[in-house]
Amino acid sequence: MNELKRVFKEGMIKDNPVFRQILGICSSLAVTNLLLNSLVMGIGLMFVTGFSSFTVSLLRQQTPKHIRMMVQTLIISAYVIILDIFLKAYWPSMSKALGPYVGLIITNCIIMGRCEAFAQKNKPLISFFDGFTMGLGYTIVLLFIAFFRELLGFGSLFGVQILGEGWVKWTLMIMPPGAFFMLGIVIWITRNVFPNNDEKGGAQV
Amino acid sequence: MVKKKRILYPVFFMVVLTAVFTFVLAFINASSIDLIKAQEALQIQKSILYVFNIPFESQDLSIQKTFDEHVTTQTLNERTYYVYKLDQELQGYAFQFSGRGLWGTITGNIAISPEFDTILGINFISHSETPGLGGRIDESWFKEQFRNMSIKTEPPVIFKPAEGGSADAVTGATLTSNSVRDMVNQFVTDLKSIEKEVNLNE
Repeated sequence: MNELKRVFKEGMIKDNPVFRQILGICSSLAVTNLLLNSLVMGIGLMFVTGFSSFTVSLLRQQTPKHIRMMVQTLIISAYVIILDIFLKAYWPSMSKALGPYVGLIITNCIIMGRCEAFAQKNKPLISFFDGFTMGLGYTIVLLFIAFFRELLGFGSLFGVQILGEGWVKWTLMIMPPGAFFMLGIVIWITRNVFPNNDEKGGAQV
Repeated sequence: MVKKKRILYPVFFMVVLTAVFTFVLAFINASSIDLIKAQEALQIQKSILYVFNIPFESQDLSIQKTFDEHVTTQTLNERTYYVYKLDQELQGYAFQFSGRGLWGTITGNIAISPEFDTILGINFISHSETPGLGGRIDESWFKEQFRNMSIKTEPPVIFKPAEGGSADAVTGATLTSNSVRDMVNQFVTDLKSIEKEVNLNE
């Protein structure tokens, strides 16, 4: 139970993939102009990271060390293809909205990072939990960014108009620069709210 | 732990693992292919209804029903096109067009009035333009600009603020906008050459 708690805390805050490890930035910038897109992307990533970590961990005793990267890529791509097929078959409009970013989950560093850093050394179930929490950490940040981008850019939340007709839409927020500003602000705030103890004593920047 | 020096084992391991995953994926793919095909057909029907500006509810069955009620599919020289009739009266034709975008092929539908003088609507089915930039051609403000655009003048699509401008381009996506403009202009020109054949076919 303690281990679960530790893993959860690391995934959400201490080692949060986006604002701490600065991984998965490409997709965080791309899909966060709408809350719904971000949510689906996040759930997709949770699924892929969780099951990839699980599978990698399951095979960790059998996998020859020097070909483990190849094996990880194979496992990750298999799960991403499953997710892609699922979206195409049951949610085509979402599949279209996310476009190439579903396929690009394969290259999302969070997944391979967790396979390397955690799943290689731990048991399958806790690895699954670790992958899942990392995905959750990613999702939360995405949703946070998307909340402001959609609210200011479209005046809506999850497609429901919140701000009245008089609201002047900040087109900048739904364009790529808006994502950079929001992500920068998020990283800045979280670095201040959750200072990293490891950095103390290191070189002052 | 497996001995690291063995050479055959990694090859064997990789082959088996690849085979297992390929089998699983092939199975999933095969079992969902019909569903995906049906979804794609539905996408095209939806697109055709949109370009004709026929109101429809977003349930799958309702789309199918509305489509069957109003639209018939025809072929001419191996080209498929759609005819929209309301109370036996001809409302327009819809065609599929495609052309080169910035990153890949852009495919879409375009609807033309029976007199071949007005674009009724335009829609994009697939493209691989940059999301957030060129990808914004999917947004309704862009597509709605083509509704009831006259094609009597040549070329029909001119971006503002040029003289005689008929539409706004997508900001930050000049190349995609230009591709769409050229694609539509070219298609409309080609279309006029087959006007007689289409009308005869009725």
